[in-house]
Amino acid sequence: MPEQTAEQESQPQTATTAATQDSKSADSYDSSMLPDMLPVYYRRLFPHEPFYRWLNYGHSEDNIFVNREISFTLHDDIYIRYLCFETQAELEKEICSRNPYKIDIGAVLSTRPKNFRTVPGGLTPVQRELVFDIDATDYDEIRNCCSGAEICLKCWKFMVVAARVLDVALREDFDFENLLWISGRRGIHCWVCDHTARHLDGRARAAVAEYLNILTYTNNTARVQLNDRTHHSLRRALKIVEPMFEEIILEDQNLFGTPKGVQKLLQMISDEGARNDLEAYLQKTHEDGAHSKLVWESFVRYANSMRTSAANIWSRKLKNIVQEVQLCLLYPRLDINVTKGFNHLLKAPFCIHPATGKVCLPFSATAAAKFDPTTVPTISQLLQEINAHDDKTKSYMEAPEDKSRIKDYKKTSMFKGVVVFEEFLRKLERNFKPKTMEF
Amino acid sequence: MDFNLKKRARHDVKVEVVSLESKFPHNVMIYHFPPTEDVHIDEFEDLALERLRLLRVFDRATTKGLRMMSDDWKEYVNAELTRDGLRGYLRMCSSHSGGIKQEADLQMRRRDYLSHFILRLAYCRSEDLLRWFVAREMEFFKYKFAALSTAEIKQFLEENSFHIQPLTEAQKDEVKDGLYESTVGQSVAKIELLEFYKVPFTQVLDLVRTRRCYLKAGYAYVNTHDLVSIVAARQLEEIERGMQAAKAFINDVEADERISRMLKSLHNSYTGKDYTVCKDASVPIESLDQLSKTSMPLCMRMCHDHIRSQHHIKHGGRMQYGLFLKGIGVSLEDSLRFWREEFTKKMDVDKFARSYEYNIHHNYGKKGSMVNYTPYSCMKIIKEMAAPGDCHGCPYKSLDPPTVKAKLAAYGLSPGAIEEVMFFVTRGHYQFACGKYFMLTHNSNVEPTINHPNSYFEESQILMGNRQKSTRTPGPVQPTNKRAGIRGAANRSMLNGDDDDELWRIAESQEKAYLSQKGIAEAFDDDLDLTQITE
Repeated sequence: MPEQTAEQESQPQTATTAATQDSKSADSYDSSMLPDMLPVYYRRLFPHEPFYRWLNYGHSEDNIFVNREISFTLHDDIYIRYLCFETQAELEKEICSRNPYKIDIGAVLSTRPKNFRTVPGGLTPVQRELVFDIDATDYDEIRNCCSGAEICLKCWKFMVVAARVLDVALREDFDFENLLWISGRRGIHCWVCDHTARHLDGRARAAVAEYLNILTYTNNTARVQLNDRTHHSLRRALKIVEPMFEEIILEDQNLFGTPKGVQKLLQMISDEGARNDLEAYLQKTHEDGAHSKLVWESFVRYANSMRTSAANIWSRKLKNIVQEVQLCLLYPRLDINVTKGFNHLLKAPFCIHPATGKVCLPFSATAAAKFDPTTVPTISQLLQEINAHDDKTKSYMEAPEDKSRIKDYKKTSMFKGVVVFEEFLRKLERNFKPKTMEF
Repeated sequence: MDFNLKKRARHDVKVEVVSLESKFPHNVMIYHFPPTEDVHIDEFEDLALERLRLLRVFDRATTKGLRMMSDDWKEYVNAELTRDGLRGYLRMCSSHSGGIKQEADLQMRRRDYLSHFILRLAYCRSEDLLRWFVAREMEFFKYKFAALSTAEIKQFLEENSFHIQPLTEAQKDEVKDGLYESTVGQSVAKIELLEFYKVPFTQVLDLVRTRRCYLKAGYAYVNTHDLVSIVAARQLEEIERGMQAAKAFINDVEADERISRMLKSLHNSYTGKDYTVCKDASVPIESLDQLSKTSMPLCMRMCHDHIRSQHHIKHGGRMQYGLFLKGIGVSLEDSLRFWREEFTKKMDVDKFARSYEYNIHHNYGKKGSMVNYTPYSCMKIIKEMAAPGDCHGCPYKSLDPPTVKAKLAAYGLSPGAIEEVMFFVTRGHYQFACGKYFMLTHNSNVEPTINHPNSYFEESQILMGNRQKSTRTPGPVQPTNKRAGIRGAANRSMLNGDDDDELWRIAESQEKAYLSQKGIAEAFDDDLDLTQITE
């Protein structure tokens, strides 16, 4: 039974936050202009054709597109669920006439979602991509650069590590290949589109989510507990995390550079006695405000010497503490409820974020470090770009509209995002080739 | 279970020549084929209640937060099974060497198999019930499976056509690093020797979830000791499919009134000790004030305080507290005196006699339907919806947390102790909260399982040395005369606990009608035949 209460991905933005965002961005995006800009964006830039091709999956299963639940968020947070479309043309027409502030994608249901009132027993989800959501706000306690919805190049590195760890785990352990990574305003999404992933039931989704989630929270402190032998998935994660640790945690964030930061380190030690010993040791060795690197080195030295000197808590329960802290700070912080839910609505790629005007663009996990969230184009920037291009070539007015529209996004800085998407589609559709040739 | 078959002419029932041994070859079986034999309605009920008690043992272990299959968990489950008179099921879950199967063991397998299918009918009716049932069944199944020997497992896998083959040495060699790193619970030396099976990861979700096995390219590598995960996944699928099927024909089954009444109320029925008649003690009403402070759970203490301060208590409270008093051993005469003394502080004796005496007689089974009513169990009390001005229901549930805290403080609990109780309250575990309250007020280290206010009282009295622990095994089902405990009017009323209330509402409205018309007490002495209302 689909939930009647819509899961809103983002909170409605107040005018003030929108204003602060504006003053920061170079190309003054004005959210009050959005209703005027959206029609142009959807008509000329939104990649309707690839978007449809994705959700249609080469028409490999019956009703895979037509029974898909789509929802629109219109102005003033008017939220419409249970939309569905028969053809690409219909979807395009609806998007262009309603100009939604946000488009969400739900599950493929047992029948047309729009009949939800009349279907006896309610709608049941049939299939749905396996989705992951990593939200930068979950890193707030270990970010010194930004907080909340803001994201800079320094925080993006958390996302880079998270994407890499998750990407390789999904590929190697579960044999998933078709992963679509999307950058959101304050985090990243991953859509796993393989046939098996789409057909996992709720229990399997929960199991995968928990397999990949290693953090436990006690009193708002994240902790990781490694066992005697370290599971291969965690060893692999460590290999990715360790080389990045110094740069992200010690240099960029200087996380342990304040007494408060040192407390954060101490809180990750589960044993109270050991924690107090370490605190005393660190206070003795360092002045308040010593650089994180020094604190960390002392911590590692202390843990190692305690571990090897005698049989104690450091050689038993805390023998992996250094690795545990590293994982705890850099392992992906998943919102596992998003992954568990069969019916969770998730923001579609190529949406415009109303508060910042930024486009949600696909990116490649392997090249995530090259992706710069601060230069993601805003809708106003994109429209300026096509205008500039049109002015230069003067072709827009003269050329037949259809022809020019197809290539409009190529004139803008969202080009790369669309290319990543096309590449993802090409690989995805390769799986359907043998099947389509039979027809 | 094919109930239609049963309705057909009795003479063409085929004589079952298949022996129990061949029908139920193992303690552990996949519940695939529904049983087709005839079951007497009494046995039907008996089986259902027994299984319900079994599953509730697992439920309690889970709610206590014990880790499944840990030593604590096993110890607790074994103790509870024994306490609840479920030794037969306990035997199924313990590995016993020696292949001699006794008749009793075979009978037990039959009970296990039949009762599972009976409860399917009772628990397929809502999503919540279904989830509860499936989870408990799986816990029981895994516990049973863990008792199997290696040979039995092999045989089980063959007979249930699990087509899984262990990896060859060469195949194992290819992935051995991964196996060493990621197989939890086995030493490296052991991993060398163990057989491993390669299955799609979706077949062993519990191992995946907890990262207990090596996972590569969508396949999980499972060792012999973790085979239960694969088997359990099949069993789970089997039960879930069965539940869907049960849902489809449940309407046909429920056409039989006797069965539908039972099935509908089963999940709320109380399965502990029967407190209808208190045989082993008598409690003078003079001691109630004292007892309310020392030995009564919060729900009853609040009723008592309410009566003492307000000299009146509404119907729900009269039922809840009145029957409780009967259960702890207050005689009918004392009971009448207790209520009369309090109520007449606010009304004249005549009015009390007219409006309330009948109620008390009725509770003791002396008037009307002559049923000796059963004191309310926690389950029933928790379900009660108390309106403002009422004092019945479970206070942990019905009062808002600050009020509960204030109450506990007023009853002398320290702030720390209050927090301990509130820990459970805020999580909705009212019975555990009550158990905690018991421990704190009795300075006891053992946490009692509270599922009946009368058992709370009894435990308290035993602890204080005022009562002897009853020598007989508690629990209504005795191995020798199990029928006696499970049948009879008293027990029926336990099953259909809700009917008491309905009955009472009817009785009360009738009372009022009579009173307003005639205003004489005799009117409802014999004329109001309650049996006619119920039957």
